[in-house]
Amino acid sequence: MSEMRYKLHPISAFLNFIKGLRELIFPFIIIFGVNLFRGGGESIADRGWQGLIPVLIGGVVLIFMLISGLIKWHRFVYWFEEGELRIEYGLFVKKKRYIPFERIQSLDYTEGIFHRPLGLVKVKVETAGTGKIGQADVELTAIPREDAERIEKKMEYAKRHNWEPILEAGEAVTEEVAEVSVKAVKTVYRMSLKELIILATTSGGIGVVISAVAVFLSQFSDLIPYDAIYQEVILFLRFGYLIVALTIFLILLLAWVISIILAIFANYQFTISTDEDHIYISRGLLEKKKVSVPFKRIQGIQISQNPLREWFGYATVTVESAGGTLGDKDEKIRLFPLARKTAIFPILSELFPDMEWEPVMKKAPKRSVHFFYRLDFFWMIPVAGLVSYFFYPYGLFSLLIFPIVILFAVWQHRTAGYALTRKQLTMEFRTVSKHAFFMMKKRIQAIEVTQSYFQRRKNLASIQATIKSGMLGAAARVDHMEEQDASEVLAWYEPSDSKAAK
Amino acid sequence: MDQQPKNQISKKGLTVWRVYGMIETAVIALIAGAAAAVTYFFDGPWWLYAIYAAFPIVLGFLLIYLFPKIRWERWRYEVREQEIELQHGLFIVKRTLVPMVRVQHVDTEQGPILRKYDLAEISISTAATTHTIPALITSEADEMRNRISVLARVAEDDV
Repeated sequence: MSEMRYKLHPISAFLNFIKGLRELIFPFIIIFGVNLFRGGGESIADRGWQGLIPVLIGGVVLIFMLISGLIKWHRFVYWFEEGELRIEYGLFVKKKRYIPFERIQSLDYTEGIFHRPLGLVKVKVETAGTGKIGQADVELTAIPREDAERIEKKMEYAKRHNWEPILEAGEAVTEEVAEVSVKAVKTVYRMSLKELIILATTSGGIGVVISAVAVFLSQFSDLIPYDAIYQEVILFLRFGYLIVALTIFLILLLAWVISIILAIFANYQFTISTDEDHIYISRGLLEKKKVSVPFKRIQGIQISQNPLREWFGYATVTVESAGGTLGDKDEKIRLFPLARKTAIFPILSELFPDMEWEPVMKKAPKRSVHFFYRLDFFWMIPVAGLVSYFFYPYGLFSLLIFPIVILFAVWQHRTAGYALTRKQLTMEFRTVSKHAFFMMKKRIQAIEVTQSYFQRRKNLASIQATIKSGMLGAAARVDHMEEQDASEVLAWYEPSDSKAAK
Repeated sequence: MDQQPKNQISKKGLTVWRVYGMIETAVIALIAGAAAAVTYFFDGPWWLYAIYAAFPIVLGFLLIYLFPKIRWERWRYEVREQEIELQHGLFIVKRTLVPMVRVQHVDTEQGPILRKYDLAEISISTAATTHTIPALITSEADEMRNRISVLARVAEDDV
């Protein structure tokens, strides 16, 4: 019995083309830019046919990409057979990939601006694959939403029925499938507009935007006629520092506004919903994204607060989940980009009833506070000394760094702590932001206790727990705790608990 | 932190570390020699020679004698039914506990120097971390690898 084969929506040919184009844009600009400016004002046409070579090459590449996009679309088919999602694709070489439904970890939906008017979605099929980077996943560039739902239903059905019934009954089971897959999906959280705005304004996105501008400028450095600009700048400087400062301020302000807008676009209508075994997160204004995380793969929860947000009682919650692709931007799934801490806990305890969210923390002992800044003196003393010496009167201001670092260390010391419950280890520590890691015992991969010579003298030790996150590990670490606490954590973690027995 | 893991690594491991230390010292001595030649060529001050001479000697003492000794004395490991416990470190003592159920795979590795002394390095990988015991007698390492893989297979848990 041959199964029905499905194609992607024709627009994916266009999307392939755009994607190829995006990767080539910088080389393109540079090639063209260099050629345009090399002539020193003389235009392409003046150089005769030789001047047209880059344009010709560019044109050929463009046409090639357009055609390859078309062929890629034409060649790409997927179908369901024997409980597997089967895909056939390839530009020159025909490739086949069969993915058993049980192996599929999650289906991620993205709706870009081209998708939405046509009712299409991009589906990323995530497997726990240990395949090569970039090969681990299958991407269906554009399929109608109903088709996406059909995949999901087939998948659910196959998982439940071990796929045999599908084989026997063929297409007739579709109705039944629909019945089976009605699972109670319940919305647990929807971000309010106020939270969205606070998120956008306090996010560190500004740095991203500034660096993007810098990268952009550096890419164009070949094109910019520096001599001309230099003259302008000299003229500009005569207007005085005020204007320079004002301009910088305006640029920063602009960058900030852009980052706000981007953050709003990315997190618009942020919703968390859940059924028995998945959490679904959907968000986005222009590009709608839907990510599903199976509960089974969640390794730990992290709550982070940068000082500003801590002040206002807001926090970010990320989920550390196993698997996924290496180098994926969304590797760490943000469960709450931003929400009031008081609002988070009820929802978290609804999502993860097994875990404790506000355990009593055991803090670092008082005498360990010195350890938090001691090491910093190694670089501070020479730096402050040199600066004070060489820039004598004003250099003395560098001494201010001592109280600041010490206060900061005291702050870190205050935050450091851990809590042991029967099945869960919670660790709290501060870099600049405050982080709290919630880890189930059965998800911890290894625990390390380290002790330096100086710590040993004071009976202190640092504790580090590693969990799996993405393809790699994530470590939570509290420094300078009581040595006894460290032994306690080790004993708690030890499966055979031989220490307690001895 | 009271009870250390039982086993120490092979005494031959100490010899191997000393050999490594000698190689490193030899390289540094060569660099110092080259620097001395340059100094001679440019008529540098005499005390530079003293530094060049002192450098390899001090490092040699540390790398060949002291550090391997401390490291060797500190290195402990124990493979129990349900967990592996390691302890190592020069200035900072590190104590690691890996439950057997978390172990994904075990590798043994043997470079030319290790092979000469009939030693092998054994690496224990979990889903997120890798832990290495640097010098075990080859037969012991193989035996341990098999034992760990058997023990690790017993309890199957997700991820």
